[in-house]
Amino acid sequence: MGAGDPTRPLPGQIPTDAVVYAENLRHTYDRKKFALDGVSFTVHRGEVFGLLGRNGAGKSTLIKAMTTLIQPTSGALRVLGMDPARDGQKIRERIGVVQQGESFDFTTVQGNLDIYGVLWAVPKAERAPRRERLLTQFDLGDVRKRRAFDLSGGQKRRVQVAREFMHDMEVLFLDEPTVGLDVIMRHTLLDSIREEVRRGLTVVFTTHNLEEADYLCDRAAVIDEGRILALDSIENLKRLYRGKKTVDLTVGGGDTTRFYRELTERLGTRATVTTNGKVAVILTDDPKEVLSLVAELSQATGVQLEWLNVRQNTLEDVFLQSVGRGGGPVAAA
Amino acid sequence: MPLPNLFRLIYRNIRVNTDPGSLVILVGLPGMYLVFFGFGFASLASGGSTAYLAYLTPGIMSFQVVMAGTVGGSMLWADRRWGMLAQLLVGPFTRLQYLMGIMLTSMLFGLGGAAVMLGVAFGLLGKIPTQPLALGGIFGAIILGSIFFGSLMLLLGALVKSNTAYNSIQILLLFVVNFASTVFYPLSPSLPWILRILFEANPLTYVADAVRGSYTGTLTPMDGYQILVLLIETVVVLLLATRAYLKADVSYE
Repeated sequence: MGAGDPTRPLPGQIPTDAVVYAENLRHTYDRKKFALDGVSFTVHRGEVFGLLGRNGAGKSTLIKAMTTLIQPTSGALRVLGMDPARDGQKIRERIGVVQQGESFDFTTVQGNLDIYGVLWAVPKAERAPRRERLLTQFDLGDVRKRRAFDLSGGQKRRVQVAREFMHDMEVLFLDEPTVGLDVIMRHTLLDSIREEVRRGLTVVFTTHNLEEADYLCDRAAVIDEGRILALDSIENLKRLYRGKKTVDLTVGGGDTTRFYRELTERLGTRATVTTNGKVAVILTDDPKEVLSLVAELSQATGVQLEWLNVRQNTLEDVFLQSVGRGGGPVAAA
Repeated sequence: MPLPNLFRLIYRNIRVNTDPGSLVILVGLPGMYLVFFGFGFASLASGGSTAYLAYLTPGIMSFQVVMAGTVGGSMLWADRRWGMLAQLLVGPFTRLQYLMGIMLTSMLFGLGGAAVMLGVAFGLLGKIPTQPLALGGIFGAIILGSIFFGSLMLLLGALVKSNTAYNSIQILLLFVVNFASTVFYPLSPSLPWILRILFEANPLTYVADAVRGSYTGTLTPMDGYQILVLLIETVVVLLLATRAYLKADVSYE
């Protein structure tokens, strides 16, 4: 069953304000493992929708499907009400895409923006003013005459995003747009995107940086191994774990494997323990119980506490919780 | 009124590929061949430097089609390597438009290069053909040859997965195609039979013979037959390149 198959939803079934509608989307590159494994979600007009996940979780595959670069193996997908398998070019005329990898013409920053304006048929009278506004907005004025390939990683990323705003669009797909940017530039970039959102732009945005998803997104889907594990507004995602606390723990020496194994077993379903070597993040309703167990087990196993911190949960914890348990959706919207 | 997609792609291809370095390779190299070989080998040819220059000029004009083809292949590879292929294909273009954009850009480079060689020849020889029929024959063969070699390089670009392998094959192909053709010297009966077959099977020989025949006003029915074969070969290679390219993985990461 292809994305354009007869089982696709009728127009009446898709929410009227849906910019992207995906239902049970699956995709495999090798017919063995599914990069997308039954993904369903809707992106509404005017919202910033985040796709959160680790590297290789399936975020970029999803972006490729939505931007018509690949055709999903099965499921229904509509972008701006159209079927990417049938109306790819019509969709592409109305979207913007900032890809994860570098993509430049071998010319100056200014040249890249100018050429993009021509490619997108921006009227000549509009091109120069738009280019100047973007060079200023993205703080690229000083490097305008330099070749794009000679710039630093952060500058290149800004050129790629600025270039995309040379043309008008209804939806912007951003695949990890802030990779390589320092904190200040990240916020400058995110603020620029926010500004465009205020003008009515819909944004689909992938990231593994939860802080920026928190900063920018209205709703987010946590994706792992091709499946959506959680999908809700950022506030609701955090509220799901309201009252829960996060215990950050780093141990050293002794038998750390046994320590974490026994800790996980004794906490059972009352807490979620996500470990990575010596480090663990524990989500719990009762941090006192965790602390007392940690003290007891550290003596029994001979491990030493290197770092211990109890705090209110964050979006990052939601992400870890969802990915860690690998179960079904936490919430659906 | 905005330009059609294809013209916008051609504009972009020309603008991106007309840096001084590319132009030196595209026009300077054949120009140097014309000057150095034209005068250097003249002493070996009967009739002196003018006769060999007159022979070599249409050959070097034909040589432009291979140069243009390599530029086309390089454009595809550069776009693939630097992410612009995927970026353009998430833009308002189809794969076919992108492919045709490269093909037509190669053809324009081939025509431009041939025109420059004609100018150089005028400077060296003091005369060039100006009859519409001769010019039509010259540039018609150049157009066909550019599309053939452009398609061939695009086919190679779509099939070969590594840039290093592509460059190695391209250099080897460039060498064999140029020197096993009638670009620099005529097909002589004294050549070893294997070289003769290579010369006769080489599409660049057909282009060079047609350009030379038009240039000197000595077109023969054999040239017409060769052009017909070249036309068929061009259609086949173009279809193969299109097919390979439409299936090629262009996704990023």
